[in-house]
Amino acid sequence: MMAIRRTSRYGGMAALTVYGLLFLVLLYGPLTLILVYSFNANAVNMAVWEGFTFDWYRQIFGLKTSLASDTFYIESTDELLAALWNSLRVASGASLVSTAVGTATALALARYRFLGRRFYQGLMIMPMIMPDIVLGIALLIFFVGIGFKLGLLSIVVGHCTFLASYVFIVVSARLAGMDTTLEDASADLGASPWITFRRVTLPLIMPGVVGGFLLAFIISLNDVVITYFIAGVDAQTLPLFILGMMRRGIKPEINALAVLLLAFTFVIAAVGLYLRGRKQ
Amino acid sequence: MSAGVVGRGRRTAVIGLLAPVTVLLGIFFLIPLGIMLVYSFLEPGLYGGVVWSFFPWNYGRVIGWPIGGGEEFDPIYLTIFWRSLKLALSTVVVSLVICYPVAFWIARLKGWRKNAVLFAATLPFFSNVLVLIYAWLLILRPTGFVNTLLVAAGLIDQPLNLIFSEFSVLVGLVFFLVPFMLLPIYANVERLDWALVQASADLGATPIQTFRRVILPLTLPGIVGGSIIVFIPALGNFVVAQLLGGAKVQMVGNLIEQQFLKARNWPFGATLAMLMMVVVLALVLVYVTRTAERNDAAKAVG
Repeated sequence: MMAIRRTSRYGGMAALTVYGLLFLVLLYGPLTLILVYSFNANAVNMAVWEGFTFDWYRQIFGLKTSLASDTFYIESTDELLAALWNSLRVASGASLVSTAVGTATALALARYRFLGRRFYQGLMIMPMIMPDIVLGIALLIFFVGIGFKLGLLSIVVGHCTFLASYVFIVVSARLAGMDTTLEDASADLGASPWITFRRVTLPLIMPGVVGGFLLAFIISLNDVVITYFIAGVDAQTLPLFILGMMRRGIKPEINALAVLLLAFTFVIAAVGLYLRGRKQ
Repeated sequence: MSAGVVGRGRRTAVIGLLAPVTVLLGIFFLIPLGIMLVYSFLEPGLYGGVVWSFFPWNYGRVIGWPIGGGEEFDPIYLTIFWRSLKLALSTVVVSLVICYPVAFWIARLKGWRKNAVLFAATLPFFSNVLVLIYAWLLILRPTGFVNTLLVAAGLIDQPLNLIFSEFSVLVGLVFFLVPFMLLPIYANVERLDWALVQASADLGATPIQTFRRVILPLTLPGIVGGSIIVFIPALGNFVVAQLLGGAKVQMVGNLIEQQFLKARNWPFGATLAMLMMVVVLALVLVYVTRTAERNDAAKAVG
């Protein structure tokens, strides 16, 4: 009886392992396909392999390629670089501000009991559960209504409204797992709350703060929907540029651009996740 | 600095720490939502503006109520709402079926393997939705991966029509939202008390009985949490439907986008967004109260 049960359990685990590995293959397969296609020299049908090339990568940066000129697709490398530069500026600004705001809020809610604490806890969750499109159009109506010019600044402000919540969650988790003995000792030894924060609390929660910042940075960098509504006519970010390209049709340059964006995102996210998950 | 009574210095600290978020979310989150509510009760102007008069008919229009000017009863918006609900629910069910066993697999792994798999399953959470959609465009379009493969293998003569259908939208939504489902379920399965499962088996329950009576109820909070987290963005998404569904598969999100950027009927767009927000808030409210009740009950028992 025991033997039978044990075998069936091992059989179950083997089946689970196969299923789990299949899941990972399905999760990464489509992304791998883009990666492979991005090196395929075939300009007509990328599903048919025609040899290895870096041309699509060279092309998005306006470098010399061996391609016939009529296959050119990106009208303007300058436009792409401008969009990339906009995206980096927006992501830096929005994640810096939201890291400060989110961390301060996390500190207040983790270390103090006060009237309205539940309200703030609920408020911090709201922007995360709100569908992007609702937040996007609410901000659009608001900005247009008060005469706030749509552009990079409105995108930064819009991103801050939901990024602060992400930072809040990450830093709160760090604070919850933290030993308060050191803070108490610092206060008992006569340090002011500010000194205690600078010398004790901040160094201890720093991995959470930096992790939250990096996650906010890539969420901002990759945001499509909210940016789409509040960008206005002049400000173009990288995702909006890619959306524009996709609407005009599928071309090999998109493969290369997608791979670069994905690689950059995964590296930053990996560091952010590592910092977030690191033990105290 | 441990939690305690809010004294004078502490009060200053709390106010200082909460001032930034109060300004940020007060001005740029709560007020815009309030204005959106007001907008949903305004009359659309002729050339895209609004007329400042009380106008409740935007809500009537959603259920097909005709608004003067020769409009007739037309449940087109109800059809779109219904399709969105159907697609969002299907996304929840499919990703649940995919993720549930995976959560058990990861929970049973040990050491670095567990960390590596968990990491790999979390990473796509951050990938750009456009890139994910693009991947499926490459796979499903008439000259895409699947069709090229099937034609080359001689299985079909004509490329299959895989794209611009509810199926392709569903595939895109599931692929996009699967990480959102996996993590809550995994967090739940990880805490599962296997002694109870063992006890159930020892007392003679069949595996199916054990699953239904023990494992399923114990993992239900994760299932419900994951389902809500997947349902909300699935219902509100418009990019997936636009790129993988084309003009044929419209969801509420597409309708809202059109009201704002093409039809320039902002009050009606605000109305649709309000309805979406109400659905979302109702769901979350029910979930939070139920969870609180369960926790209270658990405390009372423990």
